Amino acid sequence: MVIRKEVALADIVVPPLGEVEEVRVVRWLHEVGDEVQAGEAVAEVESQKATFVIEAPVAGKLFAILVPEGKAAAPGEVIGKILEREGER
Amino acid sequence: MREVSWVPLGRVRFGKALELQRRLHHLRRYGKVPDLVLSLEHDPVITLGRSADPRHILGDPTALVASGVEVVEVERGGDVSYHGPGQLVLYPILDLRGFARSIKWYIWALEEVMLRVVASYGIRAGRLPGRPGIWVGKRKLGAIGVYVRSWVTMHGLALNVSPQLEHFRWIVPCGIHGAEVTSIAALLGREVPLEEVDERARDAFAHVFGVRVAPTDVEVVTE
Repeated sequence: MVIRKEVALADIVVPPLGEVEEVRVVRWLHEVGDEVQAGEAVAEVESQKATFVIEAPVAGKLFAILVPEGKAAAPGEVIGKILEREGER
Repeated sequence: MREVSWVPLGRVRFGKALELQRRLHHLRRYGKVPDLVLSLEHDPVITLGRSADPRHILGDPTALVASGVEVVEVERGGDVSYHGPGQLVLYPILDLRGFARSIKWYIWALEEVMLRVVASYGIRAGRLPGRPGIWVGKRKLGAIGVYVRSWVTMHGLALNVSPQLEHFRWIVPCGIHGAEVTSIAALLGREVPLEEVDERARDAFAHVFGVRVAPTDVEVVTE
């Protein structure tokens, strides 16, 4: 018998920042595999002279960094994934 | 009408002001302090933003530190900046959800505050596309660098009222080689008291943000 466990991956998204078309990921504050709390700062993006902090949408493990430091992303884009901690949804 | 506390701090070392900002930013995120603006000037300091290139510090760092210049890394956006006496520094700690959830609007508003202040002295400054701050020709008169978490802001703007312009030669401003700076005093050919500029900045801020500005002691805010 195969027991399949549901795993949920939550998106880390650049929020709409108001007429900003592109940001640059300047810093990931965690490495893949790190535990993060919901609302914890996980990354910093920058648009010209503004740094904006991206927070973890859920508690769990940082599962993937899709946009590395120094690369550009657009508001609405998924820049990373968090493997949700069970029973936290 | 919404109220914003205007907190004059006088002359403060950068590190000390940063500590206070971080504390107030945290408290603001949890609704424990009102929207406020710290108004101050710094002792000479070179700050490195998140995307700073250390090669943009031109002076010998050891010599700079020996002459009392602080060199500090900060969480705001942008490259290398110089701050010092004669610069009006405003650090608004605002929950932008009460104004506009827009970084672009916020930067525009900070520029607008500075443009109104200098216009009151008869100085015609403007914006340059893609280069936040205010400019007279190609010379920078006011700088901007902000940090936003949970839509609560920190850091802010620095307006050159009457700083020693030669201090800016210690850095490559904003990472732009050949960029020059100017000041209200240099453009007018006379000294301008910082307190007077602070008063005008208060009025301009109230107008641009559509708020009532209430001068407040820092002790009252942090109580």
